[in-house]
Amino acid sequence: MAAAMVAPLAASLYYRDGAQYALLLAAVSMAAVGLLLRNLVGRHATYELHERESFWLTSMVWILVPLGGALPYLFTGSLGSFTDAAFESYSGFTTTGASVIPDPTAIPQGILLWRAITQWMGGLGLILFVVAILKRLNRGALQLYSAEFSGTQQRKLHPHISTSVSRMWRIYALITGVLIVLLIAAGNGVLDSVCLALSTVSTGGFMTTPLGMSGYSHLTLAILTLFMFLSGVNVALLYNLFTLRWRQLRATHEFWVYAAVFLLAAGSCAIAFGMAGNPWDYSLAYSLFHIASTISTCGFYTDPPAAWPLWASVATFLLILSGAMAGSTGGGLKLRRLMTLFLYLRNYLTRMLHPHVVFSVKIDHKVVAGEYVNKIFGFVFLYICFIIGGAFVLTLSGSGIADAFCMAAANMSNLGPSPLINSLGASLDYALLPDAAKWTLMALMLAGRLEIFALLAIVSPSYWRLRR
Amino acid sequence: MRNASDWKALLRFLGVILMAEGGLMGLCVVPAIHFADGTLWHIVACSAATLSVGGGLYYAFRNELEIKDRRMSYLLVTVLWLTLSAFATLPFLATGSTRSLTAAWFEAMSGVTSCGATVFADVASLPASVLLWRSMTQWFGGFGVVLLVLALTPRLGINKYSLYTAEASGADNTGKTSVRTTVTVRRTLAVYLSLTVVFIILLMLSGMQMWDAVNLTFTNISSGGFSVNSDSIASLTHTQQYLLAGAMLLSGVNFTLLFMLVTLRWRQIRHKVDQLTFYLIICALASAFVVLALHYHSGYCWSDALRLGTVQTLSALTTTGSVVGDYTQWWTPVVFLLLMLGICGGMAGSTSGGLKVMRVLILWRNARGILRKRLHPNAVDPVRLNGRPVSGHIINNVLVIFMVFGATLMFGVMMLMLSGVNATEAIGASVGCLTGYGPGLGASGGFGCYAHFTASALWVCSLLMLLGRLECMTVIILFLHRFWHR
Repeated sequence: MAAAMVAPLAASLYYRDGAQYALLLAAVSMAAVGLLLRNLVGRHATYELHERESFWLTSMVWILVPLGGALPYLFTGSLGSFTDAAFESYSGFTTTGASVIPDPTAIPQGILLWRAITQWMGGLGLILFVVAILKRLNRGALQLYSAEFSGTQQRKLHPHISTSVSRMWRIYALITGVLIVLLIAAGNGVLDSVCLALSTVSTGGFMTTPLGMSGYSHLTLAILTLFMFLSGVNVALLYNLFTLRWRQLRATHEFWVYAAVFLLAAGSCAIAFGMAGNPWDYSLAYSLFHIASTISTCGFYTDPPAAWPLWASVATFLLILSGAMAGSTGGGLKLRRLMTLFLYLRNYLTRMLHPHVVFSVKIDHKVVAGEYVNKIFGFVFLYICFIIGGAFVLTLSGSGIADAFCMAAANMSNLGPSPLINSLGASLDYALLPDAAKWTLMALMLAGRLEIFALLAIVSPSYWRLRR
Repeated sequence: MRNASDWKALLRFLGVILMAEGGLMGLCVVPAIHFADGTLWHIVACSAATLSVGGGLYYAFRNELEIKDRRMSYLLVTVLWLTLSAFATLPFLATGSTRSLTAAWFEAMSGVTSCGATVFADVASLPASVLLWRSMTQWFGGFGVVLLVLALTPRLGINKYSLYTAEASGADNTGKTSVRTTVTVRRTLAVYLSLTVVFIILLMLSGMQMWDAVNLTFTNISSGGFSVNSDSIASLTHTQQYLLAGAMLLSGVNFTLLFMLVTLRWRQIRHKVDQLTFYLIICALASAFVVLALHYHSGYCWSDALRLGTVQTLSALTTTGSVVGDYTQWWTPVVFLLLMLGICGGMAGSTSGGLKVMRVLILWRNARGILRKRLHPNAVDPVRLNGRPVSGHIINNVLVIFMVFGATLMFGVMMLMLSGVNATEAIGASVGCLTGYGPGLGASGGFGCYAHFTASALWVCSLLMLLGRLECMTVIILFLHRFWHR
């Protein structure tokens, strides 16, 4: 009965997003999930949701769709308990990639594909869904919304939002397609390639073997590293690159910061691994892979090196918090926000010395209004509050303090599994957590994915006063 | 920074402070004589050395009266604490309490920043004079030597206001009891002194020896947390523990507010009523949670749960760091909560460390305001405190300090882990030192000490204490290129 209620809602929500999106997803998911869900979707597809508040819509979609997405796990019996199924589904849709399936090779291949597709939808949804909603808001609200959403003001791809949307999703699909072809060319199975590609491009991180990425060829790992890095880049920027507008690349300072942070972290980790006694070539390759996976909050892992130096843990934790570029599919605080904060801090210190100096924060040669700086601060404060609150609840359900922090941060940033948590001596296996901890992590994933405000808005009393 | 007269004025100021420190050090001869612990001449020598350096500086630069450059007052505060700490190491080294300079520096810094982390596993075996010196560093450190000296400033002629803001770089510039800083400082000092005396008397009335009463009052009223016993305050009677909890509670309240309360100026309380309410609410809620957890989860009987819960919660919230029971063995969420309370801290303008209740309140209301703004984009709804709108400048101030505090905390954890401390202990020590709580987690928490830390870890901890006490910005600004070059 519950299934019958949730599935049509999910289906109708898909249909509202635009026909191609919906049809593609419906078709692929039907093929993957099987006849049962397909019947449900088909029968109730006529139920359309009416015009509603965008916050309400965003949050309800993100809460209900994953619940619907949990059904395949239950129906096929891959996961026994409702909590596990919901966890897997939330983890997928929020592109977190934390899995409670102990052995992905033992479950039906359709489910593997479904897992990957949920991530792909989640990754795409993050970019597109919000933009689609923007259509309904008036112009002032639109600017406010987009500014808050992606950190600071950003150029739109095209004056028409629908054009921007279609460009974004085309580039997203294109990258996925290229990656699938490359992976197949590198000698992987078709299903494997598709799953991995979907997980990578969406920065999700579900893997198809119980051993993580250990069993794959070096070529595969190298390809994945490159694409993980790319998936941390702003999708709009990728489009500009694709259409050979190089000037955009040069003008986007965030990209250079991103590249610098990536190289610096990977380089220093490689040195740390090498100094710890691992072979140098392996250290370098592993660092590149690991750092790309962390900074894009993808969450793939391979066999960690025998000696895991401390610097690697520290760098990993910092990157988990920072995340990649704003407007990418990755999670975390986003470098653009951190850049703003850093520049503001520098100005602030100068003002302590010269109280009457007037400064402004500039990114890409454009002034960031004080109001946005305040919003970013507020966001970071809430982000930290969520991590602390999440960690507190995790300790209630029996985790140690350090693991609780790492787990809360990793899931808030939609990273999922990370060797960091292992290096603290805790288990990487999310399946062993008690149910309460799983629900906490789900809440964190959701909060991280929706960047908090949309989620908080609908639980705030003043929202409901407004509606009345 | 090329103005020589500013430098001279700075040195002169240091001289005055050092003379004060030397004088207080001299007071430690009293227990040395009374308990005949054989450290009399060591203490006299240390005191004389400090006094003569201070006197020398003062005499050499006696004509340089005023610091004009704003930058100099930032520098002064940092240099002041470093110097104080440097001279405070003398008694530890001279009496042979420790042979390592690192350990002595750590202990001295922990004293003057009223942190309360200790490297001595068995403090009871230390000479009485050194014990009193530890308590005394906390007592004057906790109050802020700057404020102490400001009481005498009419003659020192330092630009008082800029110095005051440099140390208490909080948002709370509205809370002066009087327009004149000097009067504020005198009143604050009066409150502090009378609190000290009252609690010494109360503790003695409850049957404590004068020696313990003096030491414990010094360390608890300053939210420091050193003790003369190895088990901190666990072996005291229940009444005495509750009394000390009262001292801690008061030490977390803004001193100006205390002055108003004592002198029955009820009307002026409204300027701080929000912070006070919030502080008391946090106290009540956190204590209630800890007490319930201790009773239902850890199985303590009600009276023990009540005592351990309230005393330890207050100790954490006011960042005192006195330990009434080995909290590291308690339920993990309780430990977690205690850490978070330490980060929250007491009220601004009190001796406690941490972020301060008022900042947390502003942060919270600002976040709520942003949320509301999203729902009602055209509403004018400023952040209010005590019924008055808070200016954007102050909000940004608070936000910046929060960020920097958080970043410093993470930096501390990172550096401690790199110096070979395990993750849990690194988190505990970083919180403990930065907030001024003192004991952390694991072997360095509870009744434990920092003796097993490597030298580099101890230096990191000392740095964190300094940063925490001076609220980060004052120290960090010194690393700004523009600070040294125009």
